[in-house]
Amino acid sequence: MKNIKKITAAAALLIGVSTTLYAEENVVWWDFLGGGDGVRMKKLISDFNEANAGAIKIDATTLEWGVPFYTKVQTSVAVGEAPDVMTYHASRIPLALEQNVLDEITPADWATMGFGEADFATQIWDGVTGADGKTYGVPLDTHPIVLYYNKDVLGAAGQLNADGTPKGMGSREEFTAMLQAIADAGSVKFPLGSVTADGNFMFRTIYSLVGQQNGELMTDGEFLAGDNAKKLENALGVLQEWTNAGLQSTYTDYPATVALFTSGEAAMMINGVWEVPTMTDLHASGKLFEWGAVELPVIFDKPSTYSDSHVFAIPKGSSQDPAKRAAVLKAISGILNESLFWATAGHIPANNAVTNSAEYKAMEPNATYSSLTANMIYDPKTPLAGVAGPIFDVMSTHFVPTLNGEMDPAEAVSAIKEDLSDM
Amino acid sequence: MLRNHKSETIVAMILIAPFIAIYGLIFIYPTVDMFLLSFQKAPLIGDGTWVGVDNYTRLASDRRFDTAFWNTAYFVALSVVPGTFVALFISLGISRLSGRIQALVLALFFLPYILPVSVVYRIWDWTLNFQFGIAMHVFDWLGFDRIPIFKITGWFMPAVAFVTIWWTAGFSILLFLAGLRAIPVEIYEASSLDNASRWQTFRKITWPLLWPVTALVLTIQLISQLKIFDQVYLFSTGGRPNDNLVMVYYIFQRAFVNNHGGRAAAIAVVLFIIVIVVSVLNFQLMRFAGKKQ
Repeated sequence: MKNIKKITAAAALLIGVSTTLYAEENVVWWDFLGGGDGVRMKKLISDFNEANAGAIKIDATTLEWGVPFYTKVQTSVAVGEAPDVMTYHASRIPLALEQNVLDEITPADWATMGFGEADFATQIWDGVTGADGKTYGVPLDTHPIVLYYNKDVLGAAGQLNADGTPKGMGSREEFTAMLQAIADAGSVKFPLGSVTADGNFMFRTIYSLVGQQNGELMTDGEFLAGDNAKKLENALGVLQEWTNAGLQSTYTDYPATVALFTSGEAAMMINGVWEVPTMTDLHASGKLFEWGAVELPVIFDKPSTYSDSHVFAIPKGSSQDPAKRAAVLKAISGILNESLFWATAGHIPANNAVTNSAEYKAMEPNATYSSLTANMIYDPKTPLAGVAGPIFDVMSTHFVPTLNGEMDPAEAVSAIKEDLSDM
Repeated sequence: MLRNHKSETIVAMILIAPFIAIYGLIFIYPTVDMFLLSFQKAPLIGDGTWVGVDNYTRLASDRRFDTAFWNTAYFVALSVVPGTFVALFISLGISRLSGRIQALVLALFFLPYILPVSVVYRIWDWTLNFQFGIAMHVFDWLGFDRIPIFKITGWFMPAVAFVTIWWTAGFSILLFLAGLRAIPVEIYEASSLDNASRWQTFRKITWPLLWPVTALVLTIQLISQLKIFDQVYLFSTGGRPNDNLVMVYYIFQRAFVNNHGGRAAAIAVVLFIIVIVVSVLNFQLMRFAGKKQ
């Protein structure tokens, strides 16, 4: 009997030792990166796994972007089946805090990762900070919208500067004149390809134009307070003017807009930096004209561009095991340190060390548009905002008819105000 | 033979117990829970606070609920009766064919029914997309102005109803064909001996004898179209969602986008009651119409 006990104890000890010896921390990872950037993230993950073989293994799953992803996060946290780490949008953090799905990234965590406030731009850091002053995410990047342009078409219409950037970027009149000149040159169907069938998408452009007038969407908890309603009306007005003058594509959805631009039927396009890999890859295979991407034109008083950040977040109720936490933090910091490669997905890395490096500064078109980090605006901090958030549907419903000339901008703004008030 | 009723009851109980347990767990319990949730101010997941009938009273002044309610009614009007008649018409045609040709034509009409809704959406988006849709090139060729079908409120519901009929008619056609085959051939022979016209044959024989199937198809259509969601959601993504809301879409929006579990539950309860009332009314109406014939 005694012997049996001894043997069992020894066996247990052996198993214990062997598991600690070969313990590879498995980090369950969820992301929503399904496009060209997803391919690049998978490469970063497999490189990380290779470098940390035997110690940490990231077990990654890519899920459907938007409401499906965020709903899954919420249910998985509720039943204790959440991943160890996940990607999140900074703009969704206020809603996530209301839903109580995020764990704080503590000062100790930041110290472990070797990152801190000083490593990120002010707006980016602010984006992951909750109303309580604590941080809830580790920023990976910032992904603004930019103006893509066809150098061949603009060149032929005499609209390029000597350095290959578009000419009419300084004011509303200049930009409209440039659109008109391209239209007059007659080589393209639309001077500007705009996602006019998708109000969700156009929110980014319209909000940027509101920001260019120093406007705010939300002031002290009130939507479109004071003259902000007028500023939204101005923003919608200029876009409608281009539609009425036949200068931009109408009722065009997202894929169609990209297709119009890449097929050369639209000379310019306002779109997210995440389309950079599409252009790079097409150009590399000889299927695309000479192209470029620059910061949005200044239509109103000052430069301003809407942006959001991909961040890493740790779900609430995740394992408190220090070894697991350390592995998760190592995975996050590992990816952040390698985010120069992430920049090939078009995104601007959040890590200042990367954006200040000589390699990044030589990278095109990122280097041309990265000046805009000084002029970024983020979503207002409310649970109602954020990508695929509640205000998206309200905006989209009234943006689409306005952008296509069916509805008067003033009428749209008052309808939006009314709808936002009964959220 | 004497039977031990007591032990039979016990055996019966044991045999149905698994069903009762599963039915209770996955149907009764969530339903009761939804009713309770509808009286609370609650997020989608997590505890709420009791607010009485607030979630219901606010529906009266809720403009989005109004839109959802009337759009659903409009969609039902556009799809249920027209859909049933389209299916009846097609099945009458198919029943006149025979052999391989009949099987082939039936298969062609049934094909859309086996497609998942996402594929249906893709097909019709390719066809009707404003910039690149195939139909738009036909419009250009004919000299019409292009119409952004799914982006204009006036066109949206009729277009979705059309797509839904195209998609789901196959199943109704199958039901009608089964009904038509059940009508004895002798009756048709007798009527042709009496020199009845084709319309008279249809009006006096086919229509009344097919009525139970027609009533069934109408009822199935009615209930499923009241619960319309997928097509509306897919076709209005990024467009004008709040103008195109239907009841289930609004439940989805409240619950999953706005994180208002309690308010979503209240709308779900209202829809539940509407479906019950409408189905009972429909059933009584069909019985009445059937008796009259």
